[in-house]
Amino acid sequence: MNASGLLRQDASAMADAVRGNAVSAVALVQASLDRIEATDRRVNAFTAVLRERALRRAAQVDASLASAHGPRTRELPLLGVPFAVKNLFDIAGLTTLAGSKIEREHQPPRDDAALVRRLESAGAVLVGALNMDEYAYGFTTENSHVGPCHNPHDLARIAGGSSGGSGAAVAAGQVPLTLGSDTNGSIRVPSSLCGVFGLKPTFGRLPRTGSFPFVSSLDHLGPFARSARDLALAYDAMQGPEGRGPHDPGCAQRAVEPVGAALRLGAQGLRIGVLGGYFRQHAQPEALTAVDAVAQALGASRTVELPLVEAGRAAAFLITNSEGAALHLPDLRRRAQDFEPLSRDRFLAGALLPAAWVARAQRVRRLYAEQVARVFERFDILLAAATPSAATPIGAEFFEINGHRLPVRPNMGLLTQPISCIGLPVCAVPVWGAHPDLPIGVQVIAAPWREDLVLRVASALESAGVVHAPVAPLA
Amino acid sequence: MTPAEIEAYVDASAAALGLKLRSDHRPGVLRYFALAAEFAAAVEAVPLSERDEPALRFAPVPPRESEQ
Repeated sequence: MNASGLLRQDASAMADAVRGNAVSAVALVQASLDRIEATDRRVNAFTAVLRERALRRAAQVDASLASAHGPRTRELPLLGVPFAVKNLFDIAGLTTLAGSKIEREHQPPRDDAALVRRLESAGAVLVGALNMDEYAYGFTTENSHVGPCHNPHDLARIAGGSSGGSGAAVAAGQVPLTLGSDTNGSIRVPSSLCGVFGLKPTFGRLPRTGSFPFVSSLDHLGPFARSARDLALAYDAMQGPEGRGPHDPGCAQRAVEPVGAALRLGAQGLRIGVLGGYFRQHAQPEALTAVDAVAQALGASRTVELPLVEAGRAAAFLITNSEGAALHLPDLRRRAQDFEPLSRDRFLAGALLPAAWVARAQRVRRLYAEQVARVFERFDILLAAATPSAATPIGAEFFEINGHRLPVRPNMGLLTQPISCIGLPVCAVPVWGAHPDLPIGVQVIAAPWREDLVLRVASALESAGVVHAPVAPLA
Repeated sequence: MTPAEIEAYVDASAAALGLKLRSDHRPGVLRYFALAAEFAAAVEAVPLSERDEPALRFAPVPPRESEQ
């Protein structure tokens, strides 16, 4: 198979091909750059393409394979795999935009973000930075400064957000692996709408050092890919405590707990429940059909409701609104007109929230987490739709959920927000056939620190043919 | 909060923070503040005792060990 054919495979297949000398890292990275060139005028996933850096790095990988270090290089899990990151990750020499106009004036960082360094240490090759909602405050990636990111499976529709470029680049076959961030759903929403796999690890698992914050007490980072095994490869390569130098104070700095070998254990024996109540009341029929298809494949018939879920979502909203706005208060004072018009007024309002609301939200969050922990004494895995609907048209202001007309932009994450609020690990898995033309994702949720379980279930569903992430033709 | 209370609070707190709200931004700010007030009511409705702790925990920062 040639390099452009390999680009339609997953990252694991690409690394195997480089390992077996079937393709060079340079040829693979060049194929990725060519695909970006051919498709990104329509998709608008990339805000920067690092052609020179990527080809230089790929040449280093090839040279290392041919050298005395060859045997050791050959063991790298992501050997020669092209990847890209949401433009809130630091990339040495490139200004970190976080989707904004304001940050364009700032100096570029000298170093790559911690997770970029870890993926490159595992053999992967960074090829670019990706479109997102400004300062990660959105679920649609209709970025007014650089234009909306288009869903590769229907270019008239949103890719989801805030990590829209991260979902779209994988669905478009531009790269097999990307990184994004998730504060209230920003990995799981674009995964759902673009039909790819996304992993939001437990809060505090992966270090955020070298990334632009949104809401420090809720921000998570994680990977997008076209297979569960790729998520596991990338996730394992990114785990572990930080060494000397800057540290993420929100990172638990836990030792590596690899999940790759666990995938073959499958879903057998796991106690799986389907989230009812709030999660079914806020979903369109295609979302419910997708959850039911996954539940049936897993033999899950028990429904369970999360206690305090609506209060938990409310707490996440208030903490996000206040903490996110406070971070940008100096710019909101001086130059509010330079913010993204779609989120500016929400930021301004957030700056004014009474402290008592936010302090109480943090206490409700704790109580909610304790009550949900008791649910996990009876279940290993919980299932819920990732988004209330499939991708909506770009520019759509409202959608209808269960008879209620709701604004799309703050509500596309209403099924993800209560889960990230309490930091649970989630794999979003892509289901086809629930909607006539479009994918929609299901959240596979576990107790804190059990990423192994969500990836085992995702892998089992993939093996059973229930979920998959095809590359969009974009002919 | 009533719409009038929201307007009064938003204008007063914006002034206290030195945040000048432009006339074309103010309607959106009022709308989003009203949304936040709805969420605040949901949080206020949860019974809590004085002993219910917040979700955040501070980690003290020790000095770096001196390098020999």
